[in-house]
Order: sequence, then structure tokens, then C-alpha cells
Amino acid sequence: MSDAITAETIYDAMGAVLTRWTMGSMAAPAASFWRAELGDDPAEAELRLLALAGQFLSTAVTTEPSAALRVLPDIPALALPTVPETLRPLVRRILATKKQGKVKTDLLYFLAARGWTSHPADWMPEADDEDAPDVYAKWRDWAAIAASNSAARRQTDDRLTAENWDDFWPAARKVALIELRRREPSAARAVLEARLAGENADVRWRLLSLLAERLSDDDLTFLEAIAANDRAPRVKALATSLLARLGRGSAAGEDTAELAGFFAVKTMGLLRRARVVQAEPLKTPAQSLRRKALFDGADFASFADALGLAPQELIAAWDWNADRAADAALVDLIMATGTDAQVTQAADAVNERDAPGLIISLAERLAPGERARHAEAALNTRDIRFELVQLIAGTAARLRDPLSATTGKALLAALQRDDAKPSDHTEELHALGLIVSREGARGALERLTGAGLLHGDPRLDMLRLNAALDDKGAKP
Amino acid sequence: MTIPTCSAPIARGDIELSSFPDILPAQDSIWDVGVAIDLKAVEQLATDQSSLKAAAALAKPAKWSGVGASQDGALIWGECAGSGANPYRVMADLRDLGNKCTCPSRKFPCKHVLGLLWLNAEAVVPFVPADTPAWVSDWLGRRRGTTAAKPASNAPSTEKDLGAARAGEPEVAEDPKDVARREAQAAKRNEDTERAIFDALDALEQWIGDQLRMGLAGFIDDATARCRRIAARLVDGKAAVLAGRIDELPSRLLALAAGDRPRGAVVELGKLVLLARAFRAAPRDAEIRRAVAASETREIVLADPQAQRVDARWEVLAEQVQTRRDGLVSQTTWLLNLAVTGPRFAMLLDFFPASAGRRGSVFTPGERFQAELVFYPSQQPLRALLVRRDASEAISALEWPASDTALSDALTRPLLAEPWVIETPLLLPKGRIARDDAGQMWWRSADGTATLPIASEVDGLLCGTELSRAAAIWSGNRLTILAARTRWGRIGCHE
Repeated sequence: MSDAITAETIYDAMGAVLTRWTMGSMAAPAASFWRAELGDDPAEAELRLLALAGQFLSTAVTTEPSAALRVLPDIPALALPTVPETLRPLVRRILATKKQGKVKTDLLYFLAARGWTSHPADWMPEADDEDAPDVYAKWRDWAAIAASNSAARRQTDDRLTAENWDDFWPAARKVALIELRRREPSAARAVLEARLAGENADVRWRLLSLLAERLSDDDLTFLEAIAANDRAPRVKALATSLLARLGRGSAAGEDTAELAGFFAVKTMGLLRRARVVQAEPLKTPAQSLRRKALFDGADFASFADALGLAPQELIAAWDWNADRAADAALVDLIMATGTDAQVTQAADAVNERDAPGLIISLAERLAPGERARHAEAALNTRDIRFELVQLIAGTAARLRDPLSATTGKALLAALQRDDAKPSDHTEELHALGLIVSREGARGALERLTGAGLLHGDPRLDMLRLNAALDDKGAKP
Repeated sequence: MTIPTCSAPIARGDIELSSFPDILPAQDSIWDVGVAIDLKAVEQLATDQSSLKAAAALAKPAKWSGVGASQDGALIWGECAGSGANPYRVMADLRDLGNKCTCPSRKFPCKHVLGLLWLNAEAVVPFVPADTPAWVSDWLGRRRGTTAAKPASNAPSTEKDLGAARAGEPEVAEDPKDVARREAQAAKRNEDTERAIFDALDALEQWIGDQLRMGLAGFIDDATARCRRIAARLVDGKAAVLAGRIDELPSRLLALAAGDRPRGAVVELGKLVLLARAFRAAPRDAEIRRAVAASETREIVLADPQAQRVDARWEVLAEQVQTRRDGLVSQTTWLLNLAVTGPRFAMLLDFFPASAGRRGSVFTPGERFQAELVFYPSQQPLRALLVRRDASEAISALEWPASDTALSDALTRPLLAEPWVIETPLLLPKGRIARDDAGQMWWRSADGTATLPIASEVDGLLCGTELSRAAAIWSGNRLTILAARTRWGRIGCHE
């Protein structure tokens, strides 16, 4: 090959060569500088040119980006450390084998409650992953930045104000608002007063629900304005519900009176001093539907008032377990419109009357310590599946020894049956791993392996993770 | 060791094992006392005498690595060297003799499982109690019901004889005339094969010329059917590896942007011309033959004194499993040599029929171990076989080695020796993933001197952190990242 042939010469010819071959023409005439190398036989020359051109195009020609490249910002470190490297395979396996979203969410909340986060290579939230624990807010915002064409916003201050509202990405803003509400409730409300109207209905609903924390009479004016003027019925309903929790429900109107008519306040006991609220028997399905509809539109304080009782008296006098539909409707009413104290009182009352299903409905508004207490009580007094206990306990519970409860003993016995299969009780063992304390998890593993389960049994993954993970979280 | 008879009928899965009381190991409700099996169980499990005989040959320490048992003694596992580059992962549950092996054998249980049980029954190697590896736990989780291993038949076990299996074939002195005749036949076969390949390569060049004459635009549109036809011709002409490569050509072409396909087609077809000419020039060259006809067998590579052996610490970068158009599944394991010198990468390549079903991974990405590899003789050793492997190490802080050549050199140098290669592994220096307006991803070096297009969409952590090192495959002018080192530790592309 002649020394005079430069890469530029070859490169310049390649356009014509490629065009000719694409069209089915002979290309050798377009590479005359290689005449000697290609030879005189036209067919052979094409093949030789193909070999040379192919080599040139695969080594000397590389694709270049046509425009400026965009580099995403670093994925930020979170407030909590990622799980230790040695435990990542366990976390990955739990994330991979359990397809249901709830199991994934439970695991993430469990990790957060114990003071850890997932490794970003194992799991990262999407921008709109509202179920993700708040500790992942920075990653959610990173995902939002990655999905958008805009650069990161200029958030310079962790403290949220009406002025710097737009500097925050949505997830970080939500977390900042939660923080502010905990620290200075009225400042948080003031920020919302200034900024809420600019957001869409979903966001307005989510942000407004944050006012449930440290709700006080100071919020009345703002909530009343939302209840009266917001464009979205869902947001209005939330504001109404929050107002009802402050004792500002709709005045006892005809509907509430009609609802009260479905119940009778009777006296009982020797001195006829104890009162009991009993549901009147429903004669037709239409009555049942009507009662349900009335419950949906009522608020708890007004309902109690229509029965001539204070709210706490109504909870104490309710005849639990006589009419399950009425029980469920009352619990829903208290959840939506009752104060925190009323929710706690209702949970205690329900617990005494042995109705764990109703506690599950109330659990979301109970403090973590209360949830753990009710979970422990439910375990100790009745045969209740660990999956249900977990719904009561939440992900911050650290029960000491659930296997010693009736449910645990039954589970151990079932696992030792001759016809037990390797996939039996997977969900129960997983739930056990979520509700138990670290020490409890170690004890449970010993007992379960003692009962015949293998150390490496994947059903024990959650327990093994719990037992191995240093518990650095705040205890309820 | 003996097997006490089970005292009560135990229903296990779909068969009543009490019918086979003498095959099950002693069961205790508490397993921490360990579980014992004896050779009689192995004999009864074997489907036939040949399985038993093959198992006897495998019941030798040299064939195995990573042998272990769960703390309770109920599970045993090990890795057995097979005929391929990757070892097979073998595992068994001694409580019911349920078992699993990653080999493609249709016999159940296969000789590797029998071999593992044999090792255990005769305590040929110590089964050190250890934490159950994730791959054993994964298998355990997939088992639906205790699918107890079923004895091959109810026929008397005298049909399969342990003693005979152990004894092996009697040595028979070979007649020198027979040896000479066999060698002559082999030489004739080689000549025939060579001639067939030459003919096939003539047909290939003719075909390539036709594609140019008819226009690459038409070729790109109809690549699948056209490549299929010439690939079939090459299979007939004993150029099976080349046929497989051409069968996959259309998918490589279609992976390129439409505007880049003519260039891609020229590169692909040009490499075929180069390979065909190289074969004609040196038909006996093992490396070229490997790219055209067939690879040497494991035994030949192991026996070759010229084959480079490297005993080093390796990290598993990634495993790539691809179902090919010819019905084979290729399983490629990429290893990174953590030592300062020696071949930087090793590629363990195996093929098995897609009809054999999904095969378990052999290694876990990120896993590190000391192992001896033997490389197929080559100017640029890459394809290798695992000779010996020590137990996996705990995750160590050892960093990846630095890339030892300039990037532009690393991209092109392999082509000087083997201009027809399609894939070149690279260890990239510090860099980062970026994206252009059209959504195409690029790897860009930290010093800004190199920007390489990435073959597929990447997201998540890989795009949100600096890659202090990245291991990647450069193929068809595009980059596939296998794994990277970052401030978040090692991250894999498919984790």
C-alpha cells in the first residue's frame, strides 16, 4: 500500500464506496488509490475492497455524538446508610422473589425503620413512587430529573418557604413540608396557603393530608376556605374530614338525624345507668344501603350529638360485634372524622371486644407504639395470622417472641407435619420476619431450624435479614 | 454408613416413598445430627449402569470444587468440571434425595448428582459445613413439594452394579495396525473436512459478491433470510462456527441505527472475507479453525503444553445468555483478572441446546475466587476453560487493576492480530454515562478524550455516578457495559 495514502484520503472515499455498494454498483473505481492492492479482476477487487473498507470503518471511524451530551447529576446519598454489603444478596432476593408491591414497600419501610436504605443498584424509586418511604425523596427527585430535560433545581436551603417553593423538586418539597409541620405547624400551613393553589389536584390532596399532623384550631380558617372553594371534590372532602377532626363537622342535619334513627340508645344493668348503643335490625337491603350512604356523608361528632352522646360516650357505649357492618362503618367514620384521641379510644374498645379486623382499619392513625401494643395484644389473646398482625403492627414494630403465641405454635406444628411442603406458609414466615425484633428473629430462626427448616430455606429470608441487620432505628 | 429403614410411611410430593424404604436416608425431625446416605441409594437412583459408571469416574476430588454442606447436614452441593468451560453446579437435599444439576443432561438424576452423592456417601472429600449458597437456596425455593428422587425402576438393583461401575474398562493392548489404520482414517477425515470447508468458503465469497452486486440496501432489508441460506450451506460445508456467526449477523445489524447499517454491513461482510482468506492461508491454525469450523475439545486444550495457564484471582463480571437462531443457547461468562499481569479477561463459553430448557447461572456476578484457567491457544488469549477453582472469597476491598493501554489502542490492537473478531473486552478508565438529545447513551472518559456509543438503554445508578473503572464489550462500534466500579461499590449492568 502506498505511503502517500492518508486516512483522510480513505475516509473521503468511503462515502462514495458505501453509496455505490448500497445501490449495487461496483465500488473499486471509487477507491483508485488502492488500485494496486485491489488487482485487475473486478470481482476480486470488490472483495478486497470490502475487506479493507470494513477494517477501516471498524477502526478509524467511530460515531460521534451529534450534539452536546447531558450528564445526570450524582445520585445523592440518603440520610440513612445503605444496607451492609453482605446483606445485599438477601435484600435482592426478597425484592426479586416477591412480586407484589406491598411486599416490596413493606421491606423498604422495614429497612427504614431499622435505620437503613436499599442500595441504589438493588432498588431505586420512580419519580412518582408515592409509596416509597420519605427517606428516598432525594432519589425520587433524581429520577424526576433523569426523566425530564431540565437540570437540577437550585435548592440551597432545607427549610421550605413560600418563596423557595419552586427551588425544590416535589419529593424533597414534601419531606421539607413534613419537617416544617412538625417543627412549626403554622409556618407549614402558611406555605401551603401561599402555594397550594398552584398545584394539581393529586398534589394538593397529598400536601393537604400532611396537615393531619399537629392539626389544630389554627388551621380552621385555611381548611374552611379549601372546603368551600377548592376545585377538586376529593380535596374538598379531605378538608371537610380534617375540619371534622377539629370538631367542625357539618352541623347535625337531617341526614345525621336519619342515621341516628338506625340506632337506639338503651340503658342496661341493675341500676339502668349503663348505656348501650344498639343497631336497629335492618329489614331490607335498601335500608342497609341507605344506612351505609348516610355513614359516608356523616361526621363522627355530629353523629354522637344526634344520639345525644358525647363522642367518647358513643365509643364506650357502642355494642361491638352485634352488627359487623355497623361496626365497620363506625370505625371508618372515626378514622375519617375522629380526633386522634377518639381513634385511640376506639382501638382500645375494639381490642377489648376481640375484633382485630377493626383494629387493622384503625391502625394507620395510631402511633407506632400503640400499633405494637395492639399487635402484641392481638397475638396474645387470639389465634391471628402473622400477616394480619403485621397489618396492625406496621413496619416499625419489634415484637419479642411471636412464635410463643398461639399462632406461632400452630405454625411450628404445621411446619413439622409430614405432608408439609417447601412452599407452605411462605407469607406467614415473611410476615413474622417483619414484625419481630432482631433478638426475636434470632430466637425464631433457632426454633424454626430446630423444627426441621433448613438454614438456607428461602422462606426464612426475611427473618435472616432481620436477625443479621443492626437495629439502628428509633424504637416506638 | 447405612440407611436405617423409615419406620412410618411418609408421603412426599407425588410419590409414596414408603414404597422405597431402603432408599431414603435416616430422617430425624431435627436435622442438626446430619443426614447419612450410603452407596446403595446412589445405585438405586441411577437410571442405568452407564450413569453409575460415569458417576464412579466423577467421584474423585480432582473433579470437584466448592464442595460443602449446610450446617444441619441436610443439603450438599459442589461444582463439577464438565466437558464445557463452565463447571456444573450440583446440589442435593439428603432428606429426600431431591437434586438439581445445571448440566444439560436429560437423564435424571445425571451423573454429576450421582457423583456428588457418591462423594458424600464415601466421604471422598470433606463436606465442610457452611452457609447455604444463594444458588442452593434459590433452588430450594423453587421446589414445589418435596419432589423426592425416584429410583430409576423397581427392577432389582443387581441390574446396576456398583462394583462393576468402579472397576472401569479392562485395559486391552491395542494392535499397532489398528492404531495406524485409525490414524489414517482420521487424517483422511481431516482432509475431507478441509476440502469441504474450502468449498463452503468459495460459496461464501460468491455469496458476499452477490450481496454487493445486488446492493446492500436490499441485503439489509432481507438479511435474515439471506444469511440463513448461506449459513445452511456453511453447516453442510463443515464450517459450523462461521455459520453460527452469520446466523447472528442480522440481529447485530438491526441493533444499529438505520443510518449506520450500511457501514455495519460492510464491516461484517469485510470481516468474513478476511476470515475466509485467513483460513485458506493457514487451514491448520487452531485459532482460525476455531473461528470457522469447530473448537478443540476440552481434553485437547488441557493436554496442550502450549496452552497458557493462569492461576489468579478472578472476578465474575457478567454472564450473557443468548438463544441463537441455530437452536443453541450460548452461555458466556466474563471474568476479570485482578492480578497486575496476565490476560486481563477470560471468557468461558458453553453451548447447549435450547430444548434442554433454562439453565441455571454458574456464577454470581461480583463473585471472586482464586482459580486456574487454561486459555485456548491464541495470539490474544481470551477464551478459556476453568481447570481448578477455590472456594469463593469474602468480598474484598481489592480494586480493579488500571487499564493498561491507551483506549484507542485497546479498541484497535486486537484487530491487528485477528481482524475478524466481533467482540473485544475492554477495561475503561474513569468515565461517565451521558445522553444526547435523541436519547442515545454514551460513555465519556473523564478527561473528555473519548466518547463511545452505548449499545442499549441503561438507567438507574449506572447513569447517576462516576464510573471509576468499567468493564465493557466493544462490538460493532458500540459498547456494552458489563460492570463498573463506583463510589457505591461494584455495580453490574443487569443487577
